[in-house]
Amino acid sequence: MAMSERKVRIAQLSCGPDYSGVQKEINEAAASVNADIFYPDLTLRDIKRNYKDFGLDVRSGDLKLAIARAVALVEGAIDADAVFITTCFRCAEAAITRNELRNYIHENSDLPVVSYSFTERTTAGTLLTRMEALTTIARRKALLARQTQVGMTLGVDSGSSTTKAIIMQDNEVIGTGWRPTTDVLQSADEVIELALEEAQVQMSDIEAIGTTGYGRYLIGDKINADLVQEELSVNSKGAVFLADCQTGFSTVIDIGGMDNKAISVLDGIPGTFTMGGICAGASGRFLEMTAKRLGVDITELGPLAMKGMGDSVPMNSYCIVFGTQSLVNALAQGHSKEDVAAAACHSVAEQVFEQQLQEVDIKDPVIMVGGSSLIQGLVRAMGDLLQTEIVVPPYSQYIGAVGAALLSSGYVEQKKESKK
Amino acid sequence: MNVYLKYSIVMREIMAKVFIYPTTSLILSDMVERLGHIPLGSALSVRDTVQQGGVEGIDSPPLNMTPDDAKRGLKWAAVEVPPGVRGRMSLLGPLIAEAEAAIIMDEPLAFGCMGCARTNELATFLLKEADIPVLELNYPQTDDEGFAFVMAIKEFLKGLEGGEQKAGDGNE
Amino acid sequence: MLQDKLKEGIRDGPEYAGTVTKYVFIESNHTTPDDLALHAYELAAPVMIKETCFGLQVTGDPADVEAVIARIREVDPSHIFVKDRGFPPGDARRCRANMGGARPGYFGHEAEAGVLRYVSYGLQRMYHGDSLSPSELEIIHPKERVELSNERLLEIFNRDA
Repeated sequence: MAMSERKVRIAQLSCGPDYSGVQKEINEAAASVNADIFYPDLTLRDIKRNYKDFGLDVRSGDLKLAIARAVALVEGAIDADAVFITTCFRCAEAAITRNELRNYIHENSDLPVVSYSFTERTTAGTLLTRMEALTTIARRKALLARQTQVGMTLGVDSGSSTTKAIIMQDNEVIGTGWRPTTDVLQSADEVIELALEEAQVQMSDIEAIGTTGYGRYLIGDKINADLVQEELSVNSKGAVFLADCQTGFSTVIDIGGMDNKAISVLDGIPGTFTMGGICAGASGRFLEMTAKRLGVDITELGPLAMKGMGDSVPMNSYCIVFGTQSLVNALAQGHSKEDVAAAACHSVAEQVFEQQLQEVDIKDPVIMVGGSSLIQGLVRAMGDLLQTEIVVPPYSQYIGAVGAALLSSGYVEQKKESKK
Repeated sequence: MNVYLKYSIVMREIMAKVFIYPTTSLILSDMVERLGHIPLGSALSVRDTVQQGGVEGIDSPPLNMTPDDAKRGLKWAAVEVPPGVRGRMSLLGPLIAEAEAAIIMDEPLAFGCMGCARTNELATFLLKEADIPVLELNYPQTDDEGFAFVMAIKEFLKGLEGGEQKAGDGNE
Repeated sequence: MLQDKLKEGIRDGPEYAGTVTKYVFIESNHTTPDDLALHAYELAAPVMIKETCFGLQVTGDPADVEAVIARIREVDPSHIFVKDRGFPPGDARRCRANMGGARPGYFGHEAEAGVLRYVSYGLQRMYHGDSLSPSELEIIHPKERVELSNERLLEIFNRDA
């Protein structure tokens, strides 16, 4: 599918990947989304001038070169479709440069930009979704700029734990469907049916369809979707749409069943993001286990945690095995269910905070989405850690489906045009 | 070990191995070699990584450095140090270990192998710690400085143990 | 042996294992890469010589390359500079045409090229047998700054007043 689209030229601004053994991974990830990586060419005089003009004083030559190349891209001296900024993880000088370059390019040009800090373990697989998001933004900038949903559209989000469907009409949600994911296609059929029923419409009334999430290709193929899109762009769009902050900075946090996403967003378009399937102890699954141990439904865990004090329960580990053991011990020692529920929420929030949120610049408003955003105790724990009031928009658990429905409405008018 | 290095040692045992900083410096590499010694620069290490790869077997372009090189760098820098520093140290570390002397120039504007300031700080520290003769110089900015620069290197190299001057030095 | 491989057009990879490549830079208005190449060919050594905008690249077995470099240096000792190169010439992994931009080392050369003329001047005088004048010596060993005592400072003030 990607092959029929034009090749995207991605300018690489970097320090260190060729010395960390990850340049091949970057090239491979780009190639798999039909993009080419290249290094903007400059003269030494341009390097010196551009670096001086930019004004950020760094000592590393390769960072100076990255800065000079960024200036050349913004000034239009060099043509590119997109920019990939990448530097070593754990380098402060590089992190400052990376963030400043990203903001600078975003604020002064139309170039989509994604930044990433790598370790020697970074693989093409890790980079793939980022490259896909980057090329999507380059190819479909007009589509992603959409802020209003028109006509009647369907969005399906096939996640690892749950499948969601949303039907929207004239910028409003009119139907929802939610089911645990069993068989990818069957679960999709079920949620679509639920959403159609709630909206009291027929499949033939739907004017455009978008799919996202883990099973997006399979489902997109079957229901003939107009838009099949990775979840980073879609969730960012859905989140800022629902939270009503489509312009300016925001941060989207999605603690999922299998992987967590933290996305730094500007004008509804993802910039830096982390995606991690680091550990089950930092996922919604940990909270499901806790609910089971406490003998409550997952929907009751949040209100329970809101009544408890997390700090009174000693947690010796973030691990889903040992951490759960700590919770069981705490119950045996007479701690209340409320305190244990709060401690579990705090544990998940803290691990996400420590392992993932350090890599993205957190800017208000912070929007929590996905099923876990309905667990108030988790939202409160995250807000405490980030020292901010977290926004949980309506339909937050349907974020991907809403984003897909919104974005696919770009095809409604296009289809009407082509029918004429 | 690097092919050229091996060859040089066999052929002329009296020469000293002199680490050059910037490790990519044309001027220093030339001066050391011209005055009869062996310049240890990053090109020697890069040559090793490049020649290890086959036509199809480039693990990581363009330098053919692999994640294993970054892990090898753990010998010189801890795991908390960025991978690019450790990867570069896997190139420079063995050269520093082998160096019998070093010439260090200040504030170079250099990229690539010399593109990371943290690696450069670590490398120059290790050189100063290595208990070998070190000559520190500024880049010449005038003719007079150019002459002083050349003579300082000449005196320094002459003073190295086992160092002898090769033809081309002095009055010809 | 190497030349056979070169004739076959094999440019990268293990075929180059065991060879060295040296950059030869010329900082002169009188000598051209072409002149140097002629001198190098006179030796008929089994090396590959590639002319570039700044001079030459010489690739081959270490002993052959060294012999050729020694011959080239004789042409203009003060204006010819040599250094090792990690990549074989024309290597696709390092080629500007494939990467969109120059290899980072190129800029380093460009930066150093700006001061080569001072080094050339120094080399000329070294080959001429000059020794350093006291003021030039000071460039290498700057005199330590002498701190003035308060009494001496007052003395100077009073004298100048």
